[in-house]
Amino acid sequence: MIYFDSAATTFQKPREVLRAVETAMRTCSSPGRGGYREAVRADGAVYECREAAAELFGAKPEQVVFTMNATHALNLAVKSLVRPGGRAVVSGFEHNAVMRPLRRLGARVEIAGRKLFDPADTLASFAEAVTPDTQAVICTQVSNVFGYRLPLEQIAVLCRLRGVPLIVDASQGAGVLPLSLRSLGAAFIGMPGHKGLYGPQGTGILLCGRTPESLLEGGTGSLSRSYDMPPFLPDAAEAGTHNVPGICGLAAGLRFVMRRGPDQILAHEKAVLDVLRRELREIDGVRLFEADGGLETGVLSFTAEKDCEETAAALARRGAAVRAGLHCAPAAHESAGTLESGTVRVSLSAFSTEREARRFAALLRDVLREP
Amino acid sequence: MPEYFITFRSVTGAQQGARLLGRAGVTYQLGRTPKSISALGCGYALRVRPNDAARAVGLLRRDGAPFQKVYQFPYGGVPAEVVI
Repeated sequence: MIYFDSAATTFQKPREVLRAVETAMRTCSSPGRGGYREAVRADGAVYECREAAAELFGAKPEQVVFTMNATHALNLAVKSLVRPGGRAVVSGFEHNAVMRPLRRLGARVEIAGRKLFDPADTLASFAEAVTPDTQAVICTQVSNVFGYRLPLEQIAVLCRLRGVPLIVDASQGAGVLPLSLRSLGAAFIGMPGHKGLYGPQGTGILLCGRTPESLLEGGTGSLSRSYDMPPFLPDAAEAGTHNVPGICGLAAGLRFVMRRGPDQILAHEKAVLDVLRRELREIDGVRLFEADGGLETGVLSFTAEKDCEETAAALARRGAAVRAGLHCAPAAHESAGTLESGTVRVSLSAFSTEREARRFAALLRDVLREP
Repeated sequence: MPEYFITFRSVTGAQQGARLLGRAGVTYQLGRTPKSISALGCGYALRVRPNDAARAVGLLRRDGAPFQKVYQFPYGGVPAEVVI
């Protein structure tokens, strides 16, 4: 199979991730719950993952909160900062993991920056939209649909200058782009463990520049006499038993990323995607959504004369996995004018190859020739 | 010989402390805080030898590890908080 759906989940994992999951299931019980060997081993394993994430993302280990996924992390962040009916400024490329919590809160949402691959416009729009009564700015690092890299560092500066807390959705950037809680001065950064960090599904991270409010309340193995959640990190946001096998797998994934280097992984993805892009440009009726200045990430969307879902289904029958439709990001499609058509998205990983890129293009030609 | 327990409010803090001591070559044992000194319920502690107690506390303090209190546990006696 040609797996080009890594923006959803990196399906191909480093072997050490699989081994770490298995080892954890054989040797670890619940962290923070007991003083016997298996519990203490779990404590250590979970802390190792916190340390690895903290090192990669410019944070302290206790600022690393484990979540089920990026959606969980972003819900924690959004609901900690935005009050019902409050004002939030978001980019024009946000995922429903941001938009739906805001809708649920009845927030007044201002969308800043609708122009694809135009960071100057994005920044100017944020500068206009971020007012003193803004309770949070929420910005994705990279559009999950188009691979557009937003000017996050400049938006972070703007937020700091105006005293408005920033929430970053790093779902597509974590593991390939520079990202530092300390440098950005963000309130929160949410990310999945199962995409660019190569951990198992069911893992995510919220980096906390401040203590979030809990979404779930329950046992933490600390301050147990109290009926209130502990007020300190990470316990404040980690009720219930941890996903220890997942976290151990995530730790192995983080070490894989750190060993290879995010910049090297990004360079590899871009090199492979460039091969694919050149091939796709030669196919009649294919419209690529790409920046003038070249590829920004390993994500590329296109439309063809066929329905995007039918195209993806036909590719799947030929052994190529991609995602079509709206990618849970209607705001991004609205910004790009593809809300009605949707797009086909290819998204790569450290395991993608140029040979696969050429083969994929051949398969797409075949699909589009079909009546 | 009495033992010393350095208490932490969470396992994450205790892990941080354990790593600091481990890197400095201080022998420790990480475990649950004895109920008799765990006023808030459920916590973790680093148990260290008497000869290492002062050095351990100094290291934790220097690196900002979030320990709470230090207790001396005499064998068969009543634990007592100590200031180091």
